Amino acid sequence: MDLGLKGKVALVTGAGSQIGFGKQIALLLAKEGCDAVAVTDINLDDAKLTMEEIKKIGKKSIAVKADITNPADVAILIKKVVDEYKRIDVLCNVAGGIASRVPYDQGKPEDWDKDIRLNLYSIMLTCQSVLPNMREKKAGAIVNIGSGSTRMYSHGTGNTYAISKAGVDTFTKQLAFNEAKNGIRCNCVAPGPAPTNFIPGPDKQAMVNMLAKTIPMGRGATQTDIANATIFFASDLSSYVTGAVLHVSGGSVLD
Amino acid sequence: MDLGFKGKIALVTGAGSQVGFGKETALLLAKEGCEAVAVTDVNLEDVKKTAEAVKKLGCKSIAIGADITKKTEVDAMVKRAVDEYGKIDILCNVAGAILHKDYVPLDEQKYETWSKQIDLNLFGTMYVTRAVIPHMRKQKHGAIVNIGSGSTHQYSMGVGMYAISKYAIDLFTKQLAYQEGKNGIRCNCIAPGPAPTNFGAVLREGAPPPPPEQMKKMRDAMLVAFPLGRMGTATDIANITVIMASEATNYITGQVIQVSGGNVM
Repeated sequence: MDLGLKGKVALVTGAGSQIGFGKQIALLLAKEGCDAVAVTDINLDDAKLTMEEIKKIGKKSIAVKADITNPADVAILIKKVVDEYKRIDVLCNVAGGIASRVPYDQGKPEDWDKDIRLNLYSIMLTCQSVLPNMREKKAGAIVNIGSGSTRMYSHGTGNTYAISKAGVDTFTKQLAFNEAKNGIRCNCVAPGPAPTNFIPGPDKQAMVNMLAKTIPMGRGATQTDIANATIFFASDLSSYVTGAVLHVSGGSVLD
Repeated sequence: MDLGFKGKIALVTGAGSQVGFGKETALLLAKEGCEAVAVTDVNLEDVKKTAEAVKKLGCKSIAIGADITKKTEVDAMVKRAVDEYGKIDILCNVAGAILHKDYVPLDEQKYETWSKQIDLNLFGTMYVTRAVIPHMRKQKHGAIVNIGSGSTHQYSMGVGMYAISKYAIDLFTKQLAYQEGKNGIRCNCIAPGPAPTNFGAVLREGAPPPPPEQMKKMRDAMLVAFPLGRMGTATDIANITVIMASEATNYITGQVIQVSGGNVM
């Protein structure tokens, strides 16, 4: 199926981890026809590895270092990408992390702040910087990565991570509403547990398999599961879908 | 993107209307590589046209007449499809209708109206699904896509009983997803906003459509509530139905996706 990504320029944040969703999304965007996929991460060397793989697929790419919790870094990041490719058609906000595993009642506002900055403000910042370019062309697709933890109450991620991701869900809807008139869509993909760096310890798959015992489909998520759903929202196939939060969690979140 | 439809057999209900979601979905499943798409409708003559259109795409098809509110007809319809193709991998439950006049309050409707609406939209979908499930369990694999409705979240649409029947489909989707996950069967729901199908004609009870100026006025008034600034199309719905039926979404189950241009978030 042609996803209508031909000639498009995409930017993927959090694309450094070699076992993360960001890299998989960036590669799939390249495979499915994007002209260029810019990748960014706080760790430049990692992002460069992803860039090299994109180039191997035969597509253009640049790797940019940015701390997306820093407004100045974000502004420079977006400027670099626009200077290079003149446009950004697709923005995938993948960067994020569990900043604090301390239950909120044992933490201080400074601890809470870490998750909100890393997961919510970061996405608000990249969107804010990208919007002028998308508005100019009256077109754009933004996909945010949310989390199944917003609906799974015993997940042990620390409360503030889930709270920050619930903020991402609502930001997605607010942005969708604001920017629809400008031809910009915004949707959110909410993954269940997957063997990425979010899972602590060396044997990530074993941990995911343990968590998967309560998942109706009997397995954890894969990077490909999340990349597929993200690409779908980035593509023209979903050109009448905006403000949606799609849980990709094998049935562990049904509502 | 390869959606993994090679060798797959699909069944689409409500595929008779030549301007409906069912036909568009059947055609897209065929285009994207399904081996066969069986199509069914209460109106056999209509659905034969859809089967012909599917065959023109180089995909096998049979048209089967069935009233999905009648259990025996449903069982015979599913048996016919399985006899023909040996299995069913994909079920798209598109058949449904608004059976009461627009803007008639619930309390002014007859009990029979309530009951008919649930019989068709909810029990009809459940009958078809129940008949198909054993075949999917046998192969430990299957994808079911139900058509819900944005009306479940639009309180001003004036189609209360219809919305109730469709909300029940959302919940049926989730219950089935939970129950059948272990059997490798996924179940999701697509909730369309208003689109130029035959649903309007049903609401008018056969009366001719309003004059174009009035139609445009009505549409403009309605569009204020649709952030993306347009009504949905059958293609919008078919695209997402096909994606949810495909291998690209094989970790997604129990989800309701609103396809309404931001009208329902």
